[in-house]
Amino acid sequence: MTAVVFEQPAVLQPKQHGKPGGFLRHTSIFTGLAGGIVLATITYMIGSKLVPWGTQNADFSQVGLNALIAATMFAWVIGFMAGIGAFAGPIRWALGHDLTHDDAEYMAGKDQGKFRYWKYTTDHKVVGTQYFVMVLVLLGLGGFLAMLIRTELGWTWSELFDPNFYNSIIGTHGIVMVVAMIIVVTGPLGNFIMPLMVGARDMAFPRLNALSFWLLFAAVPPLVATLFMGGIRDGWSVYQPLATQAGMGMVGYQVLIIVFAFSTGVASVNLITTAVTMRARGMNWSRVPIFVIGIIASSVMGLVWFPMYQWSQILAMSDLVVNSSFFNPVAGGSVWLYENLFWLLAHPEVYVIVVPATAGILELMTVFLRKPLFSYKLAIAGFAGVVGISAIVWVHHMYMTGFAPQVGYPFMLSTELISIPFGFLVLVALGTMWRGKVWTRLPMMCVYAVIWNKVIGGITGVYLSDVPVDQYMHGSMFVVAHFHFMLMGAGLFGAMAAISYWFPKMCGRMLNERIGSIGFWTAFAGFQITFFSMFVAGLQGQPRRVLQFDNMFNVSNWISTIGAYIIGIGMLIFLYAIITSWRGKTYAPANPWGAKTLEWQTETPVPLENFPVLPVVTSDPYGYGVPDPYDAIEKELARDDNAAKVPQ
Amino acid sequence: MPTHRLKEYYSRPYVRAILIMFIIIMAITCAMGWVVVGFMNMSGGPASEIMEALEQTVLVFTIASAPLIAITLSVIFYSLTGWKHSSGEEPPMQDSPAIRTNPVAVISWITATSLLAGFLVVWGLIELATITSSSYGSVSANQQPNSKKAIDINVTGQQWVWTFEYPGQEGITSPKLVVPIDTPLYFNVTSVDVIHNFWVVELGIKIDANPGAITNTGVTPNKLGTFNIRCAELCGMHHAYMETEIQVVTQEEFDSWVRDKGGKRTA
Repeated sequence: MTAVVFEQPAVLQPKQHGKPGGFLRHTSIFTGLAGGIVLATITYMIGSKLVPWGTQNADFSQVGLNALIAATMFAWVIGFMAGIGAFAGPIRWALGHDLTHDDAEYMAGKDQGKFRYWKYTTDHKVVGTQYFVMVLVLLGLGGFLAMLIRTELGWTWSELFDPNFYNSIIGTHGIVMVVAMIIVVTGPLGNFIMPLMVGARDMAFPRLNALSFWLLFAAVPPLVATLFMGGIRDGWSVYQPLATQAGMGMVGYQVLIIVFAFSTGVASVNLITTAVTMRARGMNWSRVPIFVIGIIASSVMGLVWFPMYQWSQILAMSDLVVNSSFFNPVAGGSVWLYENLFWLLAHPEVYVIVVPATAGILELMTVFLRKPLFSYKLAIAGFAGVVGISAIVWVHHMYMTGFAPQVGYPFMLSTELISIPFGFLVLVALGTMWRGKVWTRLPMMCVYAVIWNKVIGGITGVYLSDVPVDQYMHGSMFVVAHFHFMLMGAGLFGAMAAISYWFPKMCGRMLNERIGSIGFWTAFAGFQITFFSMFVAGLQGQPRRVLQFDNMFNVSNWISTIGAYIIGIGMLIFLYAIITSWRGKTYAPANPWGAKTLEWQTETPVPLENFPVLPVVTSDPYGYGVPDPYDAIEKELARDDNAAKVPQ
Repeated sequence: MPTHRLKEYYSRPYVRAILIMFIIIMAITCAMGWVVVGFMNMSGGPASEIMEALEQTVLVFTIASAPLIAITLSVIFYSLTGWKHSSGEEPPMQDSPAIRTNPVAVISWITATSLLAGFLVVWGLIELATITSSSYGSVSANQQPNSKKAIDINVTGQQWVWTFEYPGQEGITSPKLVVPIDTPLYFNVTSVDVIHNFWVVELGIKIDANPGAITNTGVTPNKLGTFNIRCAELCGMHHAYMETEIQVVTQEEFDSWVRDKGGKRTA
């Protein structure tokens, strides 16, 4: 890595208005909470005078109440964002008060110590850390709900929970986990590591970066509140018209999705722009680390498809609040319209989750195998293919809806074709592993677990891509086990590999590998037990999202529940390893793994603007390896072949 | 590739080990196909040609994808056990061979996966066409039933019961499905409230029951017995209990059941 100092010409600074930071000096999460609560309370008081509890429309449904709750929740989000200072930037802009360098440095959290994590801080490292903590909280919540589900299903012959409460646990578990998994890699690692990896001083739009995190933060309380307001009783897919029966609980879900979609859109734009425009000098497209490619691929899918999901929820909220009938068949709406809008995002969302985790694994494999990435171009073709084909596979979730029986043919074709680019990535992983001497550290060992899970998820996916087989397996526990193998087995375990790899850079400490490994492998073992027996339950014919079942499913469900508790214990151990290592004193050196990508070349903890001098890249980051000993033999054989060809 | 080069390749220790693992894992994976079908048959199926066809598809797909699964798993197992390891706190001093790419491997992998995907697609399309014609075959294009006179059944889902109406048998209704063996059944499925899913487990048919729309499916049961009908789409509070049974009986038993219900078979 060559460092060259460029002379920087002095830039004329705009006029400094007041102290650096301006209004943001007075705001933090606490003013945000206060603002949100105050505005929500005012909205609720005014709203309840306009539409008192029990207000009914001509159909005797309580539309007024839903409108009141929706307005209150949106008021919370707006009040929170105003309170934390999210609107300070646009207002300054409107007033013509440009940011000075001092303002920018204040907003990036300079000299504010730990308190910068509680503020609207623009530094990408702070945002990445905030995302990391948020992900841990969301995964904890979703995991806890999963334990409740398995407890109910292990408790056969009686209902442990009220059926409505059980259904809302299922829905909440689903959506919490989907949100957590969408951000688990692109949130912490995409924000913290990716700019370092491309050699940038920060993200392209630092204020949008802070906006994306705090929007997510503001969207979570409405979701949690639904648990106390009737819940999301319809699974995370909330098919209409069942969703209209859930009432108030649905409003929280819709607010979450509408706000979260803004957050994702803003974050995606930011990540793509950073990776495309802010790469270090010399880092042309053939020298970009594969993890950055994965982040771009995932962001592109999120950016393009999230609006579909957002609009499905905006229309659904309109049905609920002002009694429109987009999805109400009695009044001329279409339930199939909802399903299509929903799955237009919800299938690409699977790739939004799996692609960055896969890219992270490929990135770290090169380090622990001390080998270059096998066939870099094939990996890029793989990601490009997945992104492209992901746009045209969504109907495979709707084979059995009957909305157009003939549509099964083209979508079976596209669904089976997407396995080809995914296969490219498998070959890249296997080729990188080929004849490599493994450095057996925790991140690398996770890779084996992830590839195993992908194989199982892959073959069960082959069954499900087929329309006739779907006539048996659709909507059964088999599907649940299959997508847990992909989303959890490949996505979450892949994220655990990536997080344990980048932990020394993010948190400045070495992850305690002994405890971390115990946690990881306990969770892995529990995972196999849980979901293999869930495959069995599904094959025997147990539908998903049930509270009770026939006696023939007892054994597989009991085993599954035991496995689930083992996962829970393993995950808690892993969490313990993260927390104790983070608080511990085992400080990490700048480059503990001897890696060649840029993020390891700067010091740990990473200074405010990342690099004292911006790096210049002169080669691709995979310059590991020694000449292949078999090459000599190959050459000799080739020489013999050529000699044989010479005519006598 | 000349044979002496293949021989040299085969003489490398890891190639032989991976080949052996490959064969073993492939055998296990193929065997898993029968295990999967075994679990599918645990509740008494298959009870129709459709179910038999899709169990066959499961077997074929398992065997077809076995080579790719086997190569992937044998490489990761050999990487775990065969190629050398290094542990310790510091990065290893010795790097691994710098294999940047291998055109032979890349091209043959792409060919193999494309062939596999192509095979799955073609098999699936043919299978789907066959099953569709046998599902809907009871009312074929020329309105001539396949073999026997088909029975129309109107299926209505509502929270949380199924109702079956036999319009050809003077509109008798029943909370459970009683049908004669070897007779094509033709279902008109709808719902009065939310989306349900009509799943006749051992007969291998499934279709959503949508409010405001009628969806169709059909099947010809070929095994006597009592089988399960479950709702496979979350439909609210008592979704789990929305199940009933289908009794496949002989023609005589069916006729007498219809008479008991107060209808008669209109020829």
